Amino acid sequence: MKVIRIVLIASLSLGAFAQTEITTTIGANQAASVTRIAIPFPDLAAGLDSAQINSAFFAPLTRDVAASGVFAIAPLPPLVPVTSDLLKRINATVALHLTVRKEGNDYVVGARMVDTTGTELYARQYRGPEIALTKTAHMIADAMVRAINGKPGVFLSQIAFASDREGSWEIFLMDWDGGNQRRITYHNALTILPSWSPDNDRMVYTSFARGTSDMYIINRRGGGRIRIHTGLALNTSATFSPVSNDIAFVGSVNGNPDIYVIKDDGSNLRRLTTSPTIESTPDWSPNGRQISFTSGRSGSPQIYIMDAEGTNVRRLSFEGEWNDDATWSPTGEEIAYTSRVSGRFQIRVANAVTGESRILAGEGSNEQPTWSPDGHWIAFQSNRSGRWEIYRMRADGTDLQQLTFNGENKEPDWSKKLE
Amino acid sequence: MSKKWKVFASTLAVLALALVPACKHATKTVAPQPQPPVVEAPAPAVAPAPTQVPAPTDFVKTDTQPTVTEEEFPRNLEDANRVAQERGYIRDAFFGYDESTLSADAQSALSASATWLKGKDGAAYNLLIEGHCDERGTEQYNLALGDKRANVVKEYLQTLGVDGARIRTVSYGEERPFDPGHDESAWQKNRRAHLVLVGK
Repeated sequence: MKVIRIVLIASLSLGAFAQTEITTTIGANQAASVTRIAIPFPDLAAGLDSAQINSAFFAPLTRDVAASGVFAIAPLPPLVPVTSDLLKRINATVALHLTVRKEGNDYVVGARMVDTTGTELYARQYRGPEIALTKTAHMIADAMVRAINGKPGVFLSQIAFASDREGSWEIFLMDWDGGNQRRITYHNALTILPSWSPDNDRMVYTSFARGTSDMYIINRRGGGRIRIHTGLALNTSATFSPVSNDIAFVGSVNGNPDIYVIKDDGSNLRRLTTSPTIESTPDWSPNGRQISFTSGRSGSPQIYIMDAEGTNVRRLSFEGEWNDDATWSPTGEEIAYTSRVSGRFQIRVANAVTGESRILAGEGSNEQPTWSPDGHWIAFQSNRSGRWEIYRMRADGTDLQQLTFNGENKEPDWSKKLE
Repeated sequence: MSKKWKVFASTLAVLALALVPACKHATKTVAPQPQPPVVEAPAPAVAPAPTQVPAPTDFVKTDTQPTVTEEEFPRNLEDANRVAQERGYIRDAFFGYDESTLSADAQSALSASATWLKGKDGAAYNLLIEGHCDERGTEQYNLALGDKRANVVKEYLQTLGVDGARIRTVSYGEERPFDPGHDESAWQKNRRAHLVLVGK
């Protein structure tokens, strides 16, 4: 593993100065395919505040590009025009040229990526109000990744989570880098366990607003919230099928929690497990054919997998005295889960077929992993700071970053579809 | 009223107040008041000279009858829950780590609770049983564990004759700890089925 430390320095003719330090970790197998890119500070129209453009636009853009795994940012000498000669000298093969100007209340951002031969790889103009500058940065980073490898980046994805920052626990959203955190539920009651639909349009979660725990669905295209009446207790750990209208969840009758499936209109309730022990925390495989879950049937909570009809149950986890929160990687090859090792919870990543696993160790207790839609990142909650906060790391455990700082924050769920 | 009288009257009031709570809880028999000795005397005898006027305390003792008020069990739900817990009418059941079976202690707590719930005061309420867990497990599994604990308690109360139709359960898992601490003494308190009186 090679760690590249880069200091970006961009100087402006006006004398303003912006500097961003970025640490990029590139796996050995990635290094060969990484494109070295030069990104000079944007050309700003007269009157624009370079410090503001840096913090709202340029810094998030360069952080995205550095984290992309597709690009490595080549350091630029100050006050030198970026010519193809310079690109060759700093061993860069492409350059991103940015312009920002203001029209009325709108900011107009131009982005153009060219290689050393002068061929344009990508060019686009974006227009939006000041608050959209950071989103513009994520959109440009996403388009740059798409221009190189044909696949969208992770930069427009969202992470849902529960937070008590405004009193009772409610559901919030944030950008992939922890920016733009905002509240989306208003039950004024314990509201937890958000889970995205496969198209990212809907979210299912559990709220105690009526004094019982109920399943709710909200749609970001409007329509208010719907309570799904299951006729069962608990209604926790709800999660949409990636291929149908089904929702898997934990329901309970007379104190026997089992895995159930119900359609998203509240019809066609089916029971998938029948053990008298505790069954919990279902998650669908990406093709919708299998469901992982936690069961206490062996005497301690362990991870199991069954076919989506409830048949063919097999045990996945054998190490660790308490395992829960299993979640499939987007390819379906791996399952991340929470595993207690020597009294502390750690994130474990297992091969979905063999069960062979590795631990991504960290300080404190680390729970409730969720994969980024491109499978390169895992977000999770940790109490290492003394409070529950949400962190993000690469799927190999590197590039750890704390995403939340306000109140306690837990139960991250990363949006499912790359947009 | 003269100032002296005011002082005397307020002294009386204070003394009376001081006596009331003592009387509320008194189960002892009230001490017999001293009877004046009966003296055989010739018919038109002059009444025996009154003994010296007693000090205010004695006056209160001889003049104030002990008051015993019959206390209603509080109607307000919040007070009802506080009083029922304080007096041990309803008692929470505590569990072992990752356990949902009832210990002997838990059974005796629930047996006392069942007796009261079936009695005159208790029969006026329905019961909510909240299942709680300590923080050492994982949240999602613990929500299911809390459900199991609450229902084990519901079933036990039913076997003791409490009508199941009066009982509702909810699991809070590890979301609402009673003790925010991170040691065994806190965990012990947090592994419980909490009994809450609710309206009928």
